[in-house]
Amino acid sequence: MGKYLLTRLLYVLPSLLGVLIICFFLTRLSGDPTHLFMPVDATDEALAAFRAKHGLDRSLPEQFWLFVYNALQGDFGNSLRFSVPAMNLVAERLPATLELAMATLLIAVTIGIPLGVMAAYWRGRPIDTGIRYLAALGQSVPTFYWGIVSIIVLALWMRLLPTGGRDGLTSLVLPATTLATTMMALIIRVTRSSMLNVIEQDYIRTARAKGQTEFVVVVRHALGNSIIPVITVIALQFGVLLGGVVVTETVFSWPGVGRLAIQAIYARDYPVVQAVVLFFAVVFVFANLVADVLYSFVDPRVRLK
Amino acid sequence: MKRRSFHALALAAGLLASTAIFPAFAQNAPSDLIVAQAFDPTSLWPNFNTASDEINAGALITEPLFWTDPKTNKMMPVLALGYEMEDDTTILVSLRQGVSFTNGEPFNADAVVASFTNFMNPDVAPAYGRYASVFESIEKVDDNTVRIKTKSPYPALELALGKVYIVPPAYWAEVGADGFGAKPVGTGPFKLEEWRRDDRIVMTRNETYWGEPLKGIERVILRPVPDDMARAAGIEAGEFDIATNIPIANAAAIEAAGKKIVEVPSYRIFSLELSNLEMHPSPMHDKLVRQAVNYAIDKDGIIDGLFEGRAKHLNGQLLRSNQVGYNPDLTDYPYDPEKAKELLAEAGYPDGFEIDFRFPSGRYVQDQEVATAIAGMLEAVGIRPNMIQLEAGEFLRQLVGRELAPIGYVGLGPADDPDLQMSQYRSDWRYSYVSDPEVDRLIDAGAAEMDSGKRAVIYQELSKYMRDQASVAYLFQNVDLYATGSDVQGFLPRGDQLWMLYGVSVGDK
Repeated sequence: MGKYLLTRLLYVLPSLLGVLIICFFLTRLSGDPTHLFMPVDATDEALAAFRAKHGLDRSLPEQFWLFVYNALQGDFGNSLRFSVPAMNLVAERLPATLELAMATLLIAVTIGIPLGVMAAYWRGRPIDTGIRYLAALGQSVPTFYWGIVSIIVLALWMRLLPTGGRDGLTSLVLPATTLATTMMALIIRVTRSSMLNVIEQDYIRTARAKGQTEFVVVVRHALGNSIIPVITVIALQFGVLLGGVVVTETVFSWPGVGRLAIQAIYARDYPVVQAVVLFFAVVFVFANLVADVLYSFVDPRVRLK
Repeated sequence: MKRRSFHALALAAGLLASTAIFPAFAQNAPSDLIVAQAFDPTSLWPNFNTASDEINAGALITEPLFWTDPKTNKMMPVLALGYEMEDDTTILVSLRQGVSFTNGEPFNADAVVASFTNFMNPDVAPAYGRYASVFESIEKVDDNTVRIKTKSPYPALELALGKVYIVPPAYWAEVGADGFGAKPVGTGPFKLEEWRRDDRIVMTRNETYWGEPLKGIERVILRPVPDDMARAAGIEAGEFDIATNIPIANAAAIEAAGKKIVEVPSYRIFSLELSNLEMHPSPMHDKLVRQAVNYAIDKDGIIDGLFEGRAKHLNGQLLRSNQVGYNPDLTDYPYDPEKAKELLAEAGYPDGFEIDFRFPSGRYVQDQEVATAIAGMLEAVGIRPNMIQLEAGEFLRQLVGRELAPIGYVGLGPADDPDLQMSQYRSDWRYSYVSDPEVDRLIDAGAAEMDSGKRAVIYQELSKYMRDQASVAYLFQNVDLYATGSDVQGFLPRGDQLWMLYGVSVGDK
């Protein structure tokens, strides 16, 4: 397993380098950030000084070489807006995003899996139909729309929750549930179909014949054997979740990495965009790696080679 | 446990999972003034940047010498007591006495000289280069007086003086511009308590403040809320006391919820640039065509239809009604498509023509909608626009690079002075699309005239000339919308979206 992990980690490096190259040139394609940072009536000297200060007056290959050279030493450049290291800005906002992501994951899993199990168990009954409709709705309505609707209904009309900000547990509820809808819907569907395959198996009948309680039959024997596709989906969805963070954090004024990303993109704060993209790429790659490792724990038949 | 008990357990688990627990809201104290702006500042040093959200936050802590009060439209002294002109280029400013910074440093001539020296250094305050270039030198006369020299007579002097924020020199020397921006120290009504990036800036009352304390306000909490809809919902739900940049579509609901909408005519003037520069050959070089464009546009339709009446007519000029040089005799070009067609025919375009029309998307309020409406109006008289939509950054680059031609939709919001406003149309100005020696002559005459009455006459003549020439197509003046809680009194921002809390009180809070 150690060897497997090492090989997987080595595969990560070219992916990350690819991400960096694409990100570097894509941001540059969008144009010169100078005019966005300086007032329209700034003098030519001030514009030139800004470009020189941030190395924007150099040729593109030269800029790229400097960027890679510095990145290899852990220096991702200073933010054009904040004049502090770009990675520091990401690190500063990381706790808020992790908090949101974990809460989202918790909601999606604790609601999604039981609902999926229930839908499979009562297949074809009204409760199954209801849950499937819910899943279809959750998957088809875009995150930003959920966000705005939930602000209007729960915060504005019912006054149950704050409209945004990061102020204790109450302010976490709306962004986390908003972000969880898509993921939850997918978990419901995958759990349901995976459970349906398993529940017909002979060993389930055997378990019942042994006199096991229905709960043990469903949760231990059936769910335990249908969980692998669910884990895969959760891991893959983690990337989608990070994309959702960008929108959700903006709508709910959540001070995390996603909002930093969107501000940096609008402002063409190249170093910060690069730092955020690289960070997201690392998270994405590692989420998949973690999923692979988890398989071997959940299903002893899977051996990582 | 049999099947039935599994049912019960599943139901219980489902319920538990789907009911979120709602602990009580984190309460803010009643004496907290919560202000929702669009952005979190990058620096709390107001001279770091020209973005209004940043200056507004920093100016609660650090103060300028003068401030133009939107209530009176007059310059009021803040840290200065007043000034007198020794000659056309020398100003003697007397300073308030007995004021100190919250770190104990005294406010005096040394602090003013140090702050102006920073301001005038383009490496330290590059964003203010245009104002800094006005000043020649500053010197201390005594502890409470400074002498400032300008390079040449400068009519917009008060404006330039008001741009400089005064910092404590010893602390500044210790921490520099970046350090100061993160932890500012000033003479203002509030001092920084906590800054959680992208989340909140908490300021507490400066107990040793020299001026009137603000009634009912112990703390100011600035919250960055980037989404317009969320900002509007927050003020409607009573979470904020003040919210800036309210979308027009939300104003009615906010008023219905018992909150106040504050309408502020913006300094931003919207027009179509109709380039007659040599580098942009097009039918726009013909005065008749430019006039036709003006006749073709239904200003009322735009103001009423797209802005629900919350925008103002320009009356055929680029200066605002409360500015020196506003010409009360001028009126808008009436909306007259037939006249427009006649003028086009007279100019030799009976069948109209095709032309590029550049406009931004996401730079101004409803910019795409306005541009689309204008394109339809132009089309109706035979001018067939190729609509070229530009992302905000690219739009700014093209504007400054003189590429926004032959027709470009712009909203220019310069500082509040007729010279700074009109010099944007001088033929050699970086983003001017007007080339007209007479316009240049009148702009120069206005810039050199220190007497306010004579200046007014010059600008009135300039406005009349430009209207006749149809140097631009006149559209409208923006109105900025702010919302406040019903118990917030005296909050009035300026047309450049700057505000101070001087004179603001919170009712029976």
